[in-house]
Amino acid sequence: MSVRITGIGVVSAIGLSVQENLLALKESRTGIMPFSFLDDDKIFLAGAVKATNPVLKKESKTQSQFISRTTLLGLKAAREAYGNAKQHNQIRTGIISATSVGGMDQSEQFYNAYLDGTDADFAMLGTHDSGSTTERIAAELGISGYINTLSTACSSGANAIMLGARLLMQGKLDRVLVGGTDALTNFTVNGFRSLMIYDEQWCRPFDESREGLNLGEGAAFLLLENEKSIRFSGNRTLAFLNGWANAADAFHQTASSPEGKGATLAMQKAIEKSGISPSQISYINAHGTGTKNNDLSESVALTNVFGDQVPAFSSTKSFTGHTLAAAGAVEAVFSVLAIQNQLIYPNINFSTPITETGLEPVTILQAEKPVHAVLSNSFGFGGNNSSLVFSDHA
Amino acid sequence: MDDLKEELKRQLIEQLNLEEITPADIDDDTLLFSDKGLGLDSIDALELIVLLEKYHGIQVTKPEEGKEVFRSVNSMAEYILKRKG
Amino acid sequence: MYYISAASTISHQPAFLNPGFSGMIEPLHAGSALINPDYKEYIEPGLLRRMSKILRMSVACSGACLKQGGIEHPDAIVVGTGLGCLLDTEKFLNHALTVKGLLPPTSFIQSTHNTMAGQISLSLGNHGYNMTHTQNSVSFENALLDAMLLIDEGEKHILAGAADEHIALLDEISKQLNVRSDSRFTSGASFFILSAEKSDQTLAGIKDAEAVGLVKNIPEQITAFLDRNNVSPEDLDLVLYAGSIVGTEDEEKGFQSFWKMENLHVINYLKYSGIYPTASAFALHFAVDKMQHTRSLKNILICNSLIQHNLGLILVQSVEA
Repeated sequence: MSVRITGIGVVSAIGLSVQENLLALKESRTGIMPFSFLDDDKIFLAGAVKATNPVLKKESKTQSQFISRTTLLGLKAAREAYGNAKQHNQIRTGIISATSVGGMDQSEQFYNAYLDGTDADFAMLGTHDSGSTTERIAAELGISGYINTLSTACSSGANAIMLGARLLMQGKLDRVLVGGTDALTNFTVNGFRSLMIYDEQWCRPFDESREGLNLGEGAAFLLLENEKSIRFSGNRTLAFLNGWANAADAFHQTASSPEGKGATLAMQKAIEKSGISPSQISYINAHGTGTKNNDLSESVALTNVFGDQVPAFSSTKSFTGHTLAAAGAVEAVFSVLAIQNQLIYPNINFSTPITETGLEPVTILQAEKPVHAVLSNSFGFGGNNSSLVFSDHA
Repeated sequence: MDDLKEELKRQLIEQLNLEEITPADIDDDTLLFSDKGLGLDSIDALELIVLLEKYHGIQVTKPEEGKEVFRSVNSMAEYILKRKG
Repeated sequence: MYYISAASTISHQPAFLNPGFSGMIEPLHAGSALINPDYKEYIEPGLLRRMSKILRMSVACSGACLKQGGIEHPDAIVVGTGLGCLLDTEKFLNHALTVKGLLPPTSFIQSTHNTMAGQISLSLGNHGYNMTHTQNSVSFENALLDAMLLIDEGEKHILAGAADEHIALLDEISKQLNVRSDSRFTSGASFFILSAEKSDQTLAGIKDAEAVGLVKNIPEQITAFLDRNNVSPEDLDLVLYAGSIVGTEDEEKGFQSFWKMENLHVINYLKYSGIYPTASAFALHFAVDKMQHTRSLKNILICNSLIQHNLGLILVQSVEA
């Protein structure tokens, strides 16, 4: 059981295209930098996308008066992944996007004006709901029919990929664009601050001294196609999605269980479904947010699944920041690139392993070993855990 | 000191939305985070940090610092007096 | 066919734990309010104290649904929500923009769309598939389609439902944007157990469902949907609808003239549920309840074009005992 990936697109703090992201990964160059919102003087570290809204909007050629940053980022990545795909009445095409904030950046602007009693433009709120983000992207690409949005906090992007694969496997669609997008907002930055898990220094996933995450923003999409669709498109297969699983931790509203129950289940089931043996996993792109709780729980889960043979692993959130609903999709694209280019990415800012598990992530780019199969983890608030397995074979 | 403790109990109830509890239900030494006491959790701990800042002007920067402070109303009152002292 | 083995609704109508409600309810009047059950019966006090309206509704409604179906652990929990946890979202947005200093985290934690599904799994200790769909007016249909897909993949019992909550700002928005409607904004939650097999519990069946985004031709889509399921318009005993299918002022006549069936029984379900993005979940419970109590009803079509560019279709069929 596997699904073909024939297109990828990504926008993140380390680049505005697949090529730019790949280059930064190869050069171990982080995109997390001091950042502040225009209307605020507070400076913090974040993985902002280096393109302003006016620039993105102009480039997108959209006619919409109000368009959220979440949509603009998503549209750019979606266009790259979709390529020159043409509509064909025999090919049932769908799109599944994931977002946690939707048009919150626009809603914040509205709400500020609304609270001030100045002329708040209510039409701006048309971009608030998460579903409209996906509809806008679909409309610009000319996709209609199956249009859906998932919102499961930090695992959303991975879930969109999984749902797309399931729809292809069950013969409901022939081709589906799957991914996620989230912009940096006051709402989320303040939210993670209020949880006291926003690191004021560079985030240090899997390091004993870690104190939290740095948020990022971005978007990524993958094009999944069945054989029939590929006959029409002539697209080359970049990699395969072989396994997927979603499991609930059911432990706590925000925290992950100390024994990593949900994470263990998600990894085990995804690997089992892929038919690839745990020892054949070349690399794990971990969730690795840099919070005390996640990284410990995930480390424990890794040892639950792999025993003392934990494969090479790292968290690329040390490059991009935590892009929330986009993270699973961004890291899926990085997983495909790892397979295509035989790369294992470093975990930046690591120096001391976590006492409880002693696990050490990869700290220097590895380009000499073949990478056949990659496990990508995405775990979220509310105990939503998902894992995906990618490989170079069906 | 007793006034402060009574004030803290009222603030606890409001900040944590303890709908069915009155200040009289909370003893000075009731364990706030034990199931035998109020049974609060880590989200409540963060709310208590907000409470300290909002009503008492005291900043706690690391959640771990709160562990001892938030044992009971007694320990919270002692901490507040010490910090303000 | 996918079998509905339990159905539960909390809304402005007395539908909760009230089989046969569909035969006795009236269209909502202007002053109607959400009818809250005693939430303490369903939710631990420690969890309840933090929960906003939508969370209380969802956890209690899904709890009652599982109890009714005699299912302790569903294989999956799938929730649809159009606008998510609006109360907590507005609360935290307000704090984030106005409060200087430390912010209380609870409303942020509970602002994410997956809070309902997460809280349900937490209250059950359920480790199964857990998903939240949000596609404005067709969020419930997308959740339902996911549940159907899970059954196709071999799962047995899925808890599938939807919830949305009303906040005052919605009324102001609709006034400012001149949204004209006979119905008002309300809150509601409906949950169902979707099962792979027929049982003594079976209330009705779902033959098929569809959610079409950026729909180009609603009448054409409906016709194709019915054709695909070998159902002709004459077979329909009732159409529950929201919005207009042909863009006419008189929506009811629109349906009747579209199929050239003057006597086609059509009901605008928004008059009963009020308006919220996932009101079609209320319509499904309404349809299932009607079928239970009026044996002559064989085919009910739920036709949701609450937002004109999206179309949700659910074909409900009676199941012989």
